[in-house]
Amino acid sequence: MPGSLGYAIWFLATLLEVAVVVCAIRRRSFSRYLCLNLYMFFSFVISLLRFQFLSHFGLRSSEYKYCYYYSDAVLTIFLYLALITLYLNVFDEMKVEKYVRLVAVLLLAGTALFSYGVVQQSSNKMLTGFVYELSQNLYFVGLVLTYVLWGAILKLRETRAQLIQLVLSLGVYFSAFAATFALENMFPSFQFFTYIPPVFGCLLPLAWAYAFWKLTPDARIAPARLAVVPH
Amino acid sequence: MSRKLTSLLLAMLVLAGAMSLKTVAAAQNNGAVMMANGGAPVPPPMMANGGAPVPPPMMANGGAPVPPPMMANGGAPVPPPSAQ
Repeated sequence: MPGSLGYAIWFLATLLEVAVVVCAIRRRSFSRYLCLNLYMFFSFVISLLRFQFLSHFGLRSSEYKYCYYYSDAVLTIFLYLALITLYLNVFDEMKVEKYVRLVAVLLLAGTALFSYGVVQQSSNKMLTGFVYELSQNLYFVGLVLTYVLWGAILKLRETRAQLIQLVLSLGVYFSAFAATFALENMFPSFQFFTYIPPVFGCLLPLAWAYAFWKLTPDARIAPARLAVVPH
Repeated sequence: MSRKLTSLLLAMLVLAGAMSLKTVAAAQNNGAVMMANGGAPVPPPMMANGGAPVPPPMMANGGAPVPPPMMANGGAPVPPPSAQ
């Protein structure tokens, strides 16, 4: 079972997830970033569900494992959709929504097919293995997509402060998880890494709540503050 | 039509990049999981049910010696690695 520090971080993360949705509703940005807010809302609901399973069955029980990994796959798909929402917002003036959606569907289908291909060769628990593999693969797809989106923001000289804040915080979140994953593989004996993912689970909603509360949708930042990309 | 093909190409490029990145990040894979939605404590991986030691791979049926790899075309002896 997690210690009191683990529970405290988890409780804080859950509170911050609610704060994102509340801030978005109060600032009338809920529908503008619908999938992003739905991701935060479902993350809150799933936190409550996971707590129920953890307190009833324990950390090492099959029930908690199934609850955790299946819900994680659902949340990862919502996070992917949230990222696509950010793409649609960045490219909204170029009238390429149809193609962004097409790429998003193809990429999701491709990731699912790739995950199935990996699992069907190596696992006898097909569905569970597929859910687990899909979730892991979507993280890395999200990481690459966020970097591509940041490149597009620099190239298009995007100046909407709220949008930039949302994308940057997502980029830091994905990068931090990829770095932690790599370090955990390199130094498996370090228990220190146990607390890193939940802490980042707090930082993302904190950054998004700040973006919704402090920055209005029309707030702009000076273009000179962005890096200049040569044509 | 060309835009749709470009969309397909972009999707495949991103997928290839992401899977390459995953391969690099998990180069020394020890069973660590990358699950991070919310602050809930991460349970042990699903595949590792129980604490029993992992059996050898399914392919190793019987005790016969493993044949040389398929890449070795022809029967010529493999040269030693070049000395630095």
